[in-house]
Amino acid sequence: MRYASKAPVVMPEELAVRIEDLSIKYKINVDTKRTLKNAVMRASKGERVRTRVVEAVKHLTLDVPHGSVLGIVGANGAGKSTLMRSIAGILPPTEGRIIVNGKISTLLALGVGFNPALSGRDNIILGGLASGMTRDEIEAKTEEISDFAALPDGFIDMPVRTYSSGMYGRVAFSVAVNMTPDILLLDEALSAGDASFKEKSFNRMRELCKEARTIVIVSHALATINELCDSAIWMHKGTMLAKGKPDAIVDQYLKFLDVGALPSNFEDM
Amino acid sequence: MPGPVKNSDFVSKIQVFEPHKAALPPLVPYFKEFWKRRTFATELARFADKAEYLDSKFGKVWLVLNPLLLAMVYFLLVTVIRGSSSKNLGLTTLAHILIGLFTFYFAQNCISAGAQSITAGGRLILNQAFPRALLPFSSTISAFQQFLPTIPVYIFVIVVGKHFFPTTQVPGLTWNYLWVPFIVLMVGLTGFGLALLFATMNVYFRDTNKLLTYMTRIWLYLSPILWQPSMLHGWHKMAIYLNPLGPVLSATSDVWINGKSPSLTIILGSLFWAAFAILFGGYFFISRERDFAVRI
Repeated sequence: MRYASKAPVVMPEELAVRIEDLSIKYKINVDTKRTLKNAVMRASKGERVRTRVVEAVKHLTLDVPHGSVLGIVGANGAGKSTLMRSIAGILPPTEGRIIVNGKISTLLALGVGFNPALSGRDNIILGGLASGMTRDEIEAKTEEISDFAALPDGFIDMPVRTYSSGMYGRVAFSVAVNMTPDILLLDEALSAGDASFKEKSFNRMRELCKEARTIVIVSHALATINELCDSAIWMHKGTMLAKGKPDAIVDQYLKFLDVGALPSNFEDM
Repeated sequence: MPGPVKNSDFVSKIQVFEPHKAALPPLVPYFKEFWKRRTFATELARFADKAEYLDSKFGKVWLVLNPLLLAMVYFLLVTVIRGSSSKNLGLTTLAHILIGLFTFYFAQNCISAGAQSITAGGRLILNQAFPRALLPFSSTISAFQQFLPTIPVYIFVIVVGKHFFPTTQVPGLTWNYLWVPFIVLMVGLTGFGLALLFATMNVYFRDTNKLLTYMTRIWLYLSPILWQPSMLHGWHKMAIYLNPLGPVLSATSDVWINGKSPSLTIILGSLFWAAFAILFGGYFFISRERDFAVRI
């Protein structure tokens, strides 16, 4: 896989993901106008482009075993999505390292990679090729994906711009879960479709777990975390505040949302 | 349904993500992944063309018609301003403008489509880990596919022109045409390198693409397309070598118009700019690739 290190790696066989003292920082441009014209105007006045360093994840250490479902909860800006991108290899760490044991499938931005002028089938092929699959492998999956997404007859060969938002989300989700991933990363992706599709999605994820595949879910739907996950972590401003059973983590998080209560050990962090 | 997966099944698929020791990620795995996913770049180019011309039956004809009509306009301007002493010279001028414009358009299409490829590929970049250079590379493939049909159009114009003006300077079939693949490769590499540079700039400054429109127009006038390289003398010839497309467009004139091999300095100039564009553009792009996921 890309960017893989050549250094010898010791990874316990039972683990799908090992995160060691992970920190992720990145620089963002805080200027309202991100234009060359603005940069030149600033330079002419002797000013620099205004940037800010964001510490999205701070010294996070975590093991995720094969066949488990990990939920991540936290307020906006907690670093959940950054962490997911880092596990997927999209955003390399600034410090620490991530070891991933298995093929990853992601759904981190809904409607991912979809070109609205192309058909659903063409978009699925492009997404699969980008993830490193061969054309034959993807074509063998397209019917399965179409069936799972419950697209009306013939819609798989229609331009994606003709899809309803529900169909759009269902196809994106269906692509992610049907690429036979060892590790599935889902960021706010469980809201696609109606109640029956949600039930089907949950069943599919349970099947994946029975096959010893691993799922990491970021969701603000706390009932989903409770229902699907067998462990959870709570992230706050880049730091992992707590980890444990989903119901306990969700309770702590709800308490924080209600009265702003942080765990007692937060002061030490 | 597939059977249960044993833990040992995962052993060969270990991936490690670590901080880059320098600005660049480890280059050997990067290029291995780039090569492994080359089909993605070719299919993306094919699908992008398909999407662009899906609603237009004659859309692709414009790819040839646009530079062809522009060549006619420039030809009229040049012959009116300069005045033509003979019809044979007129055909030579037309041939030079045509092949120059077609070649320049190849580079321009690489750069302009490549410059937008990262900002346009936003959702793909946010969701998938793959070498981002595949996106501008796909634009280069697309530009090459658009360039290919212009060659038969040029040949047709010249064959018809030579029929009416048999004493024209434009050469017939010669061995020097064997330089054409070299020229096309140099234009493609220079275009790809500059596409990498401008694609990165476009992530940071979203008006880069607007600026490119004006830049390429001025670049066109500064390039040996509306004028022949042989018109420059003395130190003015430096203008050819200071232009990233100058040497390769001179080589185009030598092969297609003058019927001779490009000089060694022209060949070296073309190689220099292609290598410089790839190395500089590649470094600029790959060293900032990590930022793309947070700046799009």
